[in-house]
Amino acid sequence: MTNDDYSSALTRRRFLRAVLAGSALVGAGALLNSCGAPSAGTSAPATANTTPLKIGLLVPSSDIYAVLGASITQGMQIAFAQVGNEAGGRPIEIISEDEGTKPDLALQKARKLVEQDQVALVAGVVSSGVANALRDYFHDGQKLLVLANAGANALARKAKSPYIFRASFSNWQSNWQMGTWAAANIGKRAMLSAPDYAAGKEMLSAFRNSFEAAGGEVVQVQLTPFPNIGDPAPFMAQIRDAAADFVYAFYSGAASVAFVKAYSDFGLAQTVPLAGVGFLVEQDVLPQLASAALNIRSALHWAAPLDNPENKAFTTAYQKLTNQQPNVFAVQGYDAARLIIEGVNAVQGDVSQQDILLKALGAATFASPRGPFKLDPNTNNPINPCYVREVRQAGSAYTNVVIAMLEAAGDPGDDSKDTPVA
Amino acid sequence: MTLDTFVIQLTNGLVFSLLLFLIAAGLSLIFGLMDVVNLSHGAFYLLGAYVGLSITRWTGSFWLALLFSPLLVAVIGLVVERFLLRQLYRRGHLDQVLCTFGVGLILADVMRSVWGSYVESVAIPAPLDGQIVIGGLPFPVYRLAVIVFGLLIALGLWLLIERTLVGAMIRAGVNDAQMASALGINIPRLFALVFAGGTALAALGGVAASPILNIYQGLDSEILILALVVVVIGGLGTLQGAFWASLIVGMADVFGKALLPEFSVFVTYAIMAGVLLVRPQGLFRREQTRLA
Amino acid sequence: MTTEHASSLRPAAVLAAQRGWWRLLPLVALALLPLVAPPFWRSLTLEVLALAIFAMSLDVLIGYTGLVSFGHAAFLGFGAYAAAFTTERVSENLLVVLPICLASVALYAVVVGFLALRTSGISFLMLTLAFSQMLFGLAIRWSRVTGGSDGLSVARPHIGLGAWQVPLGPDLDLYYLVLAAFAASWWLLSRLVASPFGHTLRGIKENAQRMQALGYRTRRFELAAFVVAAVFAGLAGMLLAMHNRYVSPDTFAWTTSGQGIIMVIVGGAGTLVGPILGALLVHLLESVGSSATESWRLIMGVVFVLFVLFAPKGIIGILRRLRRSKESPRA
Repeated sequence: MTNDDYSSALTRRRFLRAVLAGSALVGAGALLNSCGAPSAGTSAPATANTTPLKIGLLVPSSDIYAVLGASITQGMQIAFAQVGNEAGGRPIEIISEDEGTKPDLALQKARKLVEQDQVALVAGVVSSGVANALRDYFHDGQKLLVLANAGANALARKAKSPYIFRASFSNWQSNWQMGTWAAANIGKRAMLSAPDYAAGKEMLSAFRNSFEAAGGEVVQVQLTPFPNIGDPAPFMAQIRDAAADFVYAFYSGAASVAFVKAYSDFGLAQTVPLAGVGFLVEQDVLPQLASAALNIRSALHWAAPLDNPENKAFTTAYQKLTNQQPNVFAVQGYDAARLIIEGVNAVQGDVSQQDILLKALGAATFASPRGPFKLDPNTNNPINPCYVREVRQAGSAYTNVVIAMLEAAGDPGDDSKDTPVA
Repeated sequence: MTLDTFVIQLTNGLVFSLLLFLIAAGLSLIFGLMDVVNLSHGAFYLLGAYVGLSITRWTGSFWLALLFSPLLVAVIGLVVERFLLRQLYRRGHLDQVLCTFGVGLILADVMRSVWGSYVESVAIPAPLDGQIVIGGLPFPVYRLAVIVFGLLIALGLWLLIERTLVGAMIRAGVNDAQMASALGINIPRLFALVFAGGTALAALGGVAASPILNIYQGLDSEILILALVVVVIGGLGTLQGAFWASLIVGMADVFGKALLPEFSVFVTYAIMAGVLLVRPQGLFRREQTRLA
Repeated sequence: MTTEHASSLRPAAVLAAQRGWWRLLPLVALALLPLVAPPFWRSLTLEVLALAIFAMSLDVLIGYTGLVSFGHAAFLGFGAYAAAFTTERVSENLLVVLPICLASVALYAVVVGFLALRTSGISFLMLTLAFSQMLFGLAIRWSRVTGGSDGLSVARPHIGLGAWQVPLGPDLDLYYLVLAAFAASWWLLSRLVASPFGHTLRGIKENAQRMQALGYRTRRFELAAFVVAAVFAGLAGMLLAMHNRYVSPDTFAWTTSGQGIIMVIVGGAGTLVGPILGALLVHLLESVGSSATESWRLIMGVVFVLFVLFAPKGIIGILRRLRRSKESPRA
């Protein structure tokens, strides 16, 4: 038994034969593909189609984003229930799949929805990573995707697609408006803090751009480990050392609870005001943050106590359905469903008329709990209102009271209004 | 870094180190005696935290949670040991790895359906919820209490292993289970005891850490990896090793985050890789173990 | 090591050559599958085939050499990212992409293997984990090159030899490419483990000291096995990246490595065929199972525990037991 024996077992000739056999198989595939493709001609009449309209719902039902997935689902349920679960004369059938957190598994779920279940469109998607993974599949396959959260800027910029609509936000939004406001109303010297990944950096760089334009100065940018921040205590000492007028932060979910609570435990809340983008203190974490969140000012495209009829009706319906307060993710799910209903109505349920459907989706406007909903035709991204909220105590509960309303804005469509942070 | 900040970060390092020790000690004990790589350790940690949360909510007392949650989790640990692990002691490590991994998955799903997916947090209990000034700056009292508590547990464990009859039996079992058995020590009972003790320690860590690290789905695997790193650096099965490795990893984590935030993701693993390359058996263990 | 012992471990492809070609029927069936199965099942099968290459490669380490790597996903991810870089910056010709991918994975594996193989057992397991976790961190941190948490798009390559061009754009072509890669990997790995080299590996697994005493430089053999396993894992990663047309840091996650181990053990370590079946079971549990129920983790956990308790030799063990109980009454 030597090394020579081993190499003789794999002679070059045998290896070549294997390679040739492999390429023959590939060639056969090409042949099959060219003659075996079914000719796709839809000859079904546009009228009187009452078969169920299948909508694929891809949101997380497991792992860290499960709460967001559930909120989006419930928001959608409310919107569909309002129209009797019918759009364009067809009953709506929802087929749910777990988005999970892994992009490749989520892509496979999307394939299953499109190819196996033959859904008319896919809606949902919480994670930007997943949205990025789905992008080419939907764009190249000319399939419809309606995003209910994933905020990656690129999806309104270099990766935008006529087949992908976003009913939520881009990471740039809210942060950019907040930069100007913070320079005028909170302080001129800011420390920025966010997890070290794409969304964190996109949020901070939008804020930095307008904050510096308004005469603000960023004294330090703190990028914390992603995905797990662990014990945030070391960052608290850093924040104190930076001696900024205030801290502007983006965290969400578990990281938000860890960061905001440590901020309060270390007595920073009294000395250095904390501000951020609204996810920091959104309703999904606010009950846990409780008094630690008091007085935090944040910007977002929605706030629980917004005083408009749609928001009141939505809040009532949501409480009836879930016994809980709605959150921004539920609103995004609700709006995604509203958008879909508008589009399907415009083609009277005949989703094969894709040109008309795409046009109708892009042009849809309606009154949303966040205010008037309208997409920017250049980016398929909503032109969002921006509310500055402050956490205040109301009885035993805490809420994000609206203290200012800033100009509505769509995503700029390119990176010109960003100042990189790292 | 000013001296004040250094003192603060040093204290932060101590806090995190002793939390790590609380979490890793059980894993180390179980490996030392039973030769089992317990991949459900993180799940027992999280279960302890969740049970503690419920006890705190029912009774209003964090202290009752700190006492009873480990006991309840230990009972579940006993069940797992008696009905699953005991079948596997004659098998290789891999079977135990797969089995405890499976138990971890089952527990994670049960926790998801019982406690839901919201992030939960536990308020710092009453007498410890203030701040005291260290280095001219306020520092949470609870975190200082964690240092004291961790040191007490470490001392208690050391006394238990070195100064009691049970400890002597455990030491005999770690050195040579067959010989210990020949000496009349009831090895199955000892294994059950140690496994229950190890899971109780995980649960204790879960309750004690919950006001700092909070409670959420997925924390179990974060904790498991951290505990594995600590135990491997220290040398599997040595309590002393787990203690010093906790200090190393805890300090590295804190000062990594403070001084080299760009690299803080790598620091822990780089240290582990460095230690293992120089001393494959860990810092405090004499010989190497082989998986098969 | 006796020949009798070796033949009981001999993989199916070699048996096929001895006992008749009908044993290659599964490959024929896989080749005909796209004619009957809907596209989704085709892409699911493609994923299983790619993961099967990954699992088989890990089996070379776990089942044949006795090295339990907890960081095998590093090579899957490395292959995937190498495919992304090469198609983006060098060429979209598979005949260029493939060698670059595999060579870079091999190079990386030599470095990791050289370091990690200084240890064994749990230390080896944790070292391989550490290297894959550091790559995971690097993929997120070094966003200028890796795209960070956003990941990278991967172009579908073509095969080009002068004037002869085969596009691999359509899913069906890629399916046959993956099937060909799977068949080739299976055949090559079967030859490998049946070769004297493979016997040496098994000798190392059973008793490394004895092999050293016999004059084998076991570390070299282990390193060779490590690099071979890494290259096939890299191949699987490259294929998955081309299938998904996307790579993200999650490919490096330790859960991916863990799943590889589970595929090997549940299927039956040291059999090559077993890990293929393990990949099938685990991937179906994860994809189809999670469509059917929210409690799929619970089901997965129960399946693992049941396997450990009642079928320690994995699916292959069950199949062998069934065959034996069928044959014995006749005998």
